[in-house]
Amino acid sequence: MTSHSESASQGAPAALDVTDLTFRWDKHQPALTFPDLCLSQGKHLFLHGPSGSGKSTFLSLMAGMLPPTGGKIRLLGTDILPLSAGKRDGFRADHIGVIFQQFNLVPYLTAEANVTLPCRLSSRRRAATDEAPARAAQRLLTALAIPQSHWKRKVTQLSIGQQQRIAAARALIGSPEIILADEPTSALDSDNRDRFINLLLTMAEARNTSVLFVSHDRSLAQHFHHQLQLREVPV
Amino acid sequence: MKARLGLALPRSLSLAISLATASLWHRRKVLALVCLTLTLSVTLLLGIQYLRTDVKQSFTSTISDTDLIVGARSGQINLLLYTVFHIGDATNNIRWSTFQDLQQDTRIDWLIPVSLGDSYKGFRVVGTDKGFEDHFRFGRGQPLKLANGQWFDGVFDVVLGATVARTLNHAVDDRIILSHGGGRTSFSNHKDTPFTVTGILEATGTPVDQAVYISLQSMTAMHVGWESGVAIPGRTITPEQAESRDLTPNAITAVFAGLDRKILTFRVQRDLNQYTGEPLSAILPGVALSELWRLMSQFERALLAITGFVVITSLIGLIAVLLTLQTQRAHEIAILRATGASPGLIASLYVIECLALAVAACLISLALSAVAVSILSPWLLTQYGVQIQLRALNAEEWGLLGSVPLAAMLVALVPAFSAWRQSRLQGFGNPGES
Repeated sequence: MTSHSESASQGAPAALDVTDLTFRWDKHQPALTFPDLCLSQGKHLFLHGPSGSGKSTFLSLMAGMLPPTGGKIRLLGTDILPLSAGKRDGFRADHIGVIFQQFNLVPYLTAEANVTLPCRLSSRRRAATDEAPARAAQRLLTALAIPQSHWKRKVTQLSIGQQQRIAAARALIGSPEIILADEPTSALDSDNRDRFINLLLTMAEARNTSVLFVSHDRSLAQHFHHQLQLREVPV
Repeated sequence: MKARLGLALPRSLSLAISLATASLWHRRKVLALVCLTLTLSVTLLLGIQYLRTDVKQSFTSTISDTDLIVGARSGQINLLLYTVFHIGDATNNIRWSTFQDLQQDTRIDWLIPVSLGDSYKGFRVVGTDKGFEDHFRFGRGQPLKLANGQWFDGVFDVVLGATVARTLNHAVDDRIILSHGGGRTSFSNHKDTPFTVTGILEATGTPVDQAVYISLQSMTAMHVGWESGVAIPGRTITPEQAESRDLTPNAITAVFAGLDRKILTFRVQRDLNQYTGEPLSAILPGVALSELWRLMSQFERALLAITGFVVITSLIGLIAVLLTLQTQRAHEIAILRATGASPGLIASLYVIECLALAVAACLISLALSAVAVSILSPWLLTQYGVQIQLRALNAEEWGLLGSVPLAAMLVALVPAFSAWRQSRLQGFGNPGES
């Protein structure tokens, strides 16, 4: 397991470049330390760790939603930590797609409206769709095997597997450079799980999107270019 | 970058509005109840303000076109109360010779003499003359109209106010017996001198509806033989005897006066207040009415304040519901944040939702009030003599109505701020769980 999974190739900046990252929820808790890593554009990294090893926290730090206690995060060549909160939100909207473990969708929006949400928050991703966001959403949903009858339905009526695929479509729309996925397959059965990962990675590959995928399930590692182990927190 | 920010602002607002609309619709069952509470309280507030305006209008137009009311020396409210509202009693009478003096005054255009003191089943008896029919005005200068029959002509003719006729179920040609003095059940009745109903007035929505009208001569005639305060048998007169007697009264209670030139009102008032024949008081009815209204307006202001509190209470209820819903919305907010929505956008959802509910409540209560007024106004006029018409809202009412969404927006800052603070610390999954 190398600390730097891949060194930055000449010219294009690395999708993710993390050094000396630490985080502490409060003063009385031990700090979480994270391995340095550098992921080239278009590569997929599997981050494995037992629960409590700070997987979700790591993703929150990557997304710029939590400020680290120390260290550096460069995404696509931009050091995100000195950015203002508003700029970080804008950066996330423009460049990052996210998939959660569950409850991935806004319950009062239709499947299609959930998918087009990033295009409404980021003009960059709207511009990157090359067509109307609704049309792009429909193509993604078709590719992810969501039947057309479900597009205009409330997402709460859909199965977990369908909901996760809709979340994947949302992460992919407008071709962001980075997708952060937080155990998106933990609620799926093994057939659905493999299908989901295959679809996600194939479509990410086609868009040259880097995927950072965290899970406690080591068997998934085979699908990824690289893998990395998070250490358990010393008690 | 700056240009992008400028463009992004209206777009994020439209996103916030569309998200808030979808969210309201999603939670419509719970929010409909909150909206209903708010609607009812706003309707109450609007209704009371509307009634306030209308009752004040109706009150201040109890009497119109009369420039001066003249009576025995007393306070202006007292004089107004017993002459116009038939409440309380005169302190003293004024002599007939004084009335004749007033008739000689060239500055005075017309006079309505009024003689009070008797009653009919709790309603006041007003002795007057043809001047009442010709010159008395109420509202916006409306004259009195007869619904049935005609004005009194002979001695022992009586005209009934609309309320009197309705409550006692009288028709033209009914014969009635008036009572001596006030009170609902009087033991001394003018039973030797029965009156015939010759006419019934149309409803006016003023105290005119609650009195009966006879001529000054009738008033004198029915009191012949009553000099000691009770009827002395054999000394009262019959209608036939009345024809041949001089029935000019010795005294009357008050006079309503109209002037030729309104500009002289204050001079005539001063002259009358300094009248040498006997102590008189001349009042301007408009001034006295607004002074009386000021006394009464304490109540309606208190009522309005209470209603205001009802609205505030339902707004607090609305906030309580929104804060409760906030825990259910944690996932949704996590998704929006992770997708790049700013804490400001999350907070604006609450403000927009609250504002939308308040505006909806205001619109529904406007419609409700309009329907209620148009259905109830004919009934109110006939049953209570209160004149309330459907009209456009005035500036004060619009202001009051407009303050509701404004207040809603203000109280929405509570959940908005808490959502803003929480969403700033929002991470993947639940905070505190790594």
